[in-house]
Amino acid sequence: MATRPTFSEEVANLMHSSHGNPLNTCIQCGTCSGTCPVAEFMDHTPRCLIGLINANQKEDVLDSNTYWFCASCFHCTVRCPSEIDISGLMYSLKRYSIWKHHYSDDAIGPVFSETFVKSILRSGRSYEPVLAPSYIFSYGVREFLNEAHTATNLMLKGRIPVIPPKLKRIENFKKMADRIIPMGGAK
Amino acid sequence: MSEKVGVYVCHCGTNIAGVVDVEEVSNWAGEQPNVVCSRDYKFMCSSLGQELIEEDIKEHGLTRIVVAACSPHMHEKTFRGATERGGLNPYLFEMANIREHNSWATTDKAAATHKAKALVNGAVERVVHHQPLEPIPVEINPATLVVGGGIAGISAALELADAGNHVYLVEREPSIGGHMAQLDKTFPTLDCSACILTPKMVDVEQHPNITLYSWSEVENISGYIGNFNVTVRKKARYVIEELCTGCGICEEKCPRKVVDEVFEAGLAQRKAIYTPFPQAVPKYPVLDPPNCTYFERGKCKACQILCPTGAIDFEQEDELLEFPVGNVILATGYDLFDSNRIPQYGYGHLANVFTSLEFERMVNASGPTDGKIVLRDGESVPQSVAIVHCVGSRDNNYHEYCSKVCCMYSLKFAHLVHERIPEAEVYNFYIDIRTPGKGYEEFYNRLLEEGTHFIRGRVADVTDAARLPGEEGKLIVQAEDTLIGKQRRIPVDMVILSAGMEARHDSQDVSLMFGMGCDFDGFFTERHPKLDPVATMTEGIFIAGACQGPKDIPDSVAQGAAAAARVAGLVNQETVMMEPVRASINKETCSGCRLCNDLCPYNAIVFHEDQKLSEVITALCQGCGTCVAACPSSAINGAHFTNEQVFSEIEGILWDVMEHQAVPA
Repeated sequence: MATRPTFSEEVANLMHSSHGNPLNTCIQCGTCSGTCPVAEFMDHTPRCLIGLINANQKEDVLDSNTYWFCASCFHCTVRCPSEIDISGLMYSLKRYSIWKHHYSDDAIGPVFSETFVKSILRSGRSYEPVLAPSYIFSYGVREFLNEAHTATNLMLKGRIPVIPPKLKRIENFKKMADRIIPMGGAK
Repeated sequence: MSEKVGVYVCHCGTNIAGVVDVEEVSNWAGEQPNVVCSRDYKFMCSSLGQELIEEDIKEHGLTRIVVAACSPHMHEKTFRGATERGGLNPYLFEMANIREHNSWATTDKAAATHKAKALVNGAVERVVHHQPLEPIPVEINPATLVVGGGIAGISAALELADAGNHVYLVEREPSIGGHMAQLDKTFPTLDCSACILTPKMVDVEQHPNITLYSWSEVENISGYIGNFNVTVRKKARYVIEELCTGCGICEEKCPRKVVDEVFEAGLAQRKAIYTPFPQAVPKYPVLDPPNCTYFERGKCKACQILCPTGAIDFEQEDELLEFPVGNVILATGYDLFDSNRIPQYGYGHLANVFTSLEFERMVNASGPTDGKIVLRDGESVPQSVAIVHCVGSRDNNYHEYCSKVCCMYSLKFAHLVHERIPEAEVYNFYIDIRTPGKGYEEFYNRLLEEGTHFIRGRVADVTDAARLPGEEGKLIVQAEDTLIGKQRRIPVDMVILSAGMEARHDSQDVSLMFGMGCDFDGFFTERHPKLDPVATMTEGIFIAGACQGPKDIPDSVAQGAAAAARVAGLVNQETVMMEPVRASINKETCSGCRLCNDLCPYNAIVFHEDQKLSEVITALCQGCGTCVAACPSSAINGAHFTNEQVFSEIEGILWDVMEHQAVPA
């Protein structure tokens, strides 16, 4: 009889494609957290998060802001003495929490991620003039107008492209995305 | 003629029986041709198991024995003994390895049972063709070569010499003493390292049974247990040892100063002609030609002019010495991990980051600062010191293993800082404090009482980039304090990197020269990790000390003495019995092509010009089989590995596929 996977097994499945070692090889040395440039803003350090995952403390992990603060600088992954892909873990947890709709309302990370992914899936490439408004608009009209002013200036100076970049054979890209995105892909 | 074979399948507790269906294998083996009796038993190596073989030989008139159990390295001798006690020649026995090669390697029971059958069948087919052989006695030369004059080599040499055996001690550096001579205090008792080491060094020098070759390296070794032939390169010292009194005038008058990278770890200078430290053994100095003004420009000769006994000889050349020995003990020691390989720890570009060996020299009373702990400027006394554990150890990016000694010496460093600078704050950054040893944990407790700050977290960065108030002009050590789950930045004046031990940079070459194994990390491989830690797979070659793996002083001394005891045991026997596995040439079929003459790695084959035939000298042959494989007319026969035996074994192993096709004759 199939048994329900534990939380740590679920996370291991999420990290299936990662090249790093499994999380249970963590020796809790703290190199990741010591190296992390944003550790002081996190409520749990990356090392502590791994400890919580290995102890199957699912609620504590998903309530944590740690993985939303990750800046993807990959310092932790490069320096980890156990060769665990910690940045990859942070991405896995982001995907998991969006997938399960388990994140706090005031977290800005999930909203941005979703907007970003949708924008990529539409054209195949990141295009700020579409990405930024649709993201900021979700916070209200006033914020949108404030940012629009800055954006206009940037565009006039040529810092933001006017013509959106395109991907050839976007259908193939969307098919590929369908396979890898658990939320139901590009549809 | 048919042979009566007895097959014994061992359970080895559950080691084999847990995976292999031993009963089925034994029943199946009983049905094979030539097999007269077949049994399975819980522990074949027990005395009851051995008696089983002896009784069956007498009762059933067995003529061949097969035991399917562990590796022949473990118990081949045991069962050969049982076979012999039963009244058969011990070489009429064959072992099938169904543990290391089978049950330990898989969890698939059906496949393991199938493979066990194949291995047993191969052994049965082979053993039928075995011939009775007699072991060859070889005399053992009582002299021993000890390579490396660190504490492990010194203790091995002294033990052997005290037992009345001659020892050649070869040391690469100008003086014996090794790393231990560089240390100040030794943990956990804080004995003065030099005070306990130098008496032993003097003993080595004065011992009538020890010939010391310092500033020398082993160039070549040939032969086999009991009869090795060693070539040692005695590098030119440019000092005539017979005339030198060790007065030190040459060193004093030499105008040329160079940084001493070896003994002083780069912290101090030495002269171009030098003895590494005052208590050096032997006392003769060594001249270093690349840095000598005379060798560079053709003039100076201050040392030669001022030497009161005329002992300086600029014309001296390397000497090659050859001598025979019976056994070899390798005690080549370790290299310190190069901290430059971890750039984020700042060694090399941040002045006040020191390696452990630099700090050892600094706190040494006879070191460059006379034992004062000072920063790189040579004056300022640090008010805060961070000690970083696990530098290069316990890290898959560098060395996966724990270097074992760093925790203890880091604690020692913390103690020494407290002792010399009572007002200083000391921070130990550790992953785990590992203090397994007599009195070690007590030493840790002592440090806790002394007020050392222990921060559980591996250091991520050492930087001089100040970000917060109070960090200006300091080194900032950034780490997570994992016990409180917060990142901390600790500003300190001095950082000590507790670098781990690694194998000597040339350990692979050494292992090749001596014909023994070396693991992925470069440490020499012992014969058995628990039961034979100082022997190697090559008979007559022993290892001791940190060349086998990271080790502290007590362990190195113990291993040195253990290796010496093993050698002394062999020397006392005077002869050893060698396996009669030797090649022989059939004069009828030898075509005299001489192909084998040059291939033989032991030069054991001679060519008789008059008869146009080659012949193997049995005493020199090691039974490697190279000539057997190379002979184009199949005239060479390797005893115990004849073509008949090897091919029958292969056919036996492949029984399940052979059945379907005709076996080629």
